[in-house]
Amino acid sequence: MNTYVWLVRREFWENRAIWLVPLCIGGALTLAASFGRVEFGVNSPGETRALGGMVLFAFGITFFVVMNIYSSWYLLDCLHSERKDRSVLYWKSLPVSDTATVLAKLFTGLIAIPLVYFIAADLTTVLIALILWAKARGGAGRMLWQPDLWLQLQALWVYLIVTTALWYAPFAGWFMAVSAWAKRAVLLWAVLPLCAACLLERWFLGTHAIAGTLEVRLLGYMGAAFSDSPGVAAFRTLDDMAEPAPGSVWTVLHPWGFIANPQVWLGLAVGAALIAGAIQLRWRRTDA
Amino acid sequence: MSLLIEARDLTKKYGSHTALDRVSFSVAAGRIVGLIGPNGAGKTSALRAILGLMSYTGRLEVMGREPFANRAMLMKDVSFIADVAVLPAWLRVDQAVAFVAGVHPRFRRERALELLGKTDVTGRRRIRELSKGMKTQVHLALTMAIDARLLVLDEPTLGLDILARRGFYDALLNDYMDDTRTIVVTTHQVEEVENLLTDVIFIDRGRIAFDAPVAAIAADYVVLAVADDQLAAARAEKPFFERRSLGRSFLYFERPDRQRLSAFGELLTPSVSDLFVAKLSR
Repeated sequence: MNTYVWLVRREFWENRAIWLVPLCIGGALTLAASFGRVEFGVNSPGETRALGGMVLFAFGITFFVVMNIYSSWYLLDCLHSERKDRSVLYWKSLPVSDTATVLAKLFTGLIAIPLVYFIAADLTTVLIALILWAKARGGAGRMLWQPDLWLQLQALWVYLIVTTALWYAPFAGWFMAVSAWAKRAVLLWAVLPLCAACLLERWFLGTHAIAGTLEVRLLGYMGAAFSDSPGVAAFRTLDDMAEPAPGSVWTVLHPWGFIANPQVWLGLAVGAALIAGAIQLRWRRTDA
Repeated sequence: MSLLIEARDLTKKYGSHTALDRVSFSVAAGRIVGLIGPNGAGKTSALRAILGLMSYTGRLEVMGREPFANRAMLMKDVSFIADVAVLPAWLRVDQAVAFVAGVHPRFRRERALELLGKTDVTGRRRIRELSKGMKTQVHLALTMAIDARLLVLDEPTLGLDILARRGFYDALLNDYMDDTRTIVVTTHQVEEVENLLTDVIFIDRGRIAFDAPVAAIAADYVVLAVADDQLAAARAEKPFFERRSLGRSFLYFERPDRQRLSAFGELLTPSVSDLFVAKLSR
């Protein structure tokens, strides 16, 4: 277990962008909040609450979108870069198995990086709430600092991290397998074969099974993990501004339905097979 | 004497190219073995097989284990320096020490820090900021702090200047080698290592061309330096190799009758590099 801790630490040493990027986003948002003019002109507690929820949600989405782009790139690059700079020969001189190495990188991409963004988003929110509170003598700060909304956001983040890791496991596996295999141009190798498979199927068989499967995997996450998408919920909250009881995150999380969804398990099986392939490739391939 | 490495009919093919062609050799504990050959002879393939970095056919055991399937376990007892440029550029020296201390059960942190203390490298420096010679010093310090039974070096001084090369081998002999350890080193520059080796294996075009203890070279091989008037008579003794230099001919003999040969000229003992040239010239 200790080996895994060191392996993940090493990923943080190598990829300083893991924490530098969220730090920059948080810094930029904090700066904007400190120097920007904040005039919401909201009066009723319901409005304040809804708007606060919106702002928190917008912050969260910003971090979440950047996190997904970054961690995808991380998974695609992690096994390729060590062969490119030949440092794989150094890592392989240590008593660390290929399985441990690949799993540590997978954990970093799917769990550790999202957690860093989660913490960064939280700290940013608290910091901005404090700044706004200091600036506007409480009004706007109270808007952002609402413990139950904040708690909802924590739950949403944890839920997102776990469910996206499970749902997008096949893509994570595919990226790592490409990373372990490709000599160069990992991004092209990750995308073009999938496009080619879709086109060939369409030309020769006239069917869209591959494209359909990919589409379900790419776009089906919201439907699988949420009974109502948070975006919709947020907009509904906006509509309900006058109402004292807007919608909450608790009503849209859909964990049991998600776990019972065969698509989730099918994806996990494919992801596991691709990760096993990446481990095999990491074992057999030493040259870039 | 126990065998650390035993290879029997070790073969490696890359497509139609045969890098190793049914190679057999063994390495006993406590030896310093030079695996010597021209570029592309199969040295690196042999080492990669020993280190569990690539598949092969034939039989190979390193400390009683099949290396390719057991690399991670093997690396507790084996350490290697592939060549100078494999430490990742982003790594800081103190991170390297911390990481190896974290994952390697036989790594002695204090020893590494002591060895690094002898160099000009400080812990906060990144590998990319170091000169080639300093990178090698760092890599060697990390490796020598591991209590490994077998150390494998693949062209370890490639691209280093003469001072750094000397420093490398001096550190290896003075601070590392003792009778519990075994070293296998490949190089295409024989002169550089010939004084520290106990055994040599010449490898050429995927085959073993020569395999003997260095001590046996002096016992079994003789170079006869002969002037032109004696050349025809000396040639009748069937040398296996001949070269000319400075107006004399040098004739190489294996297990000759020294008494007879001494009648033709001066008897010399070939160095490892002399013998390497003689055995591998065609």
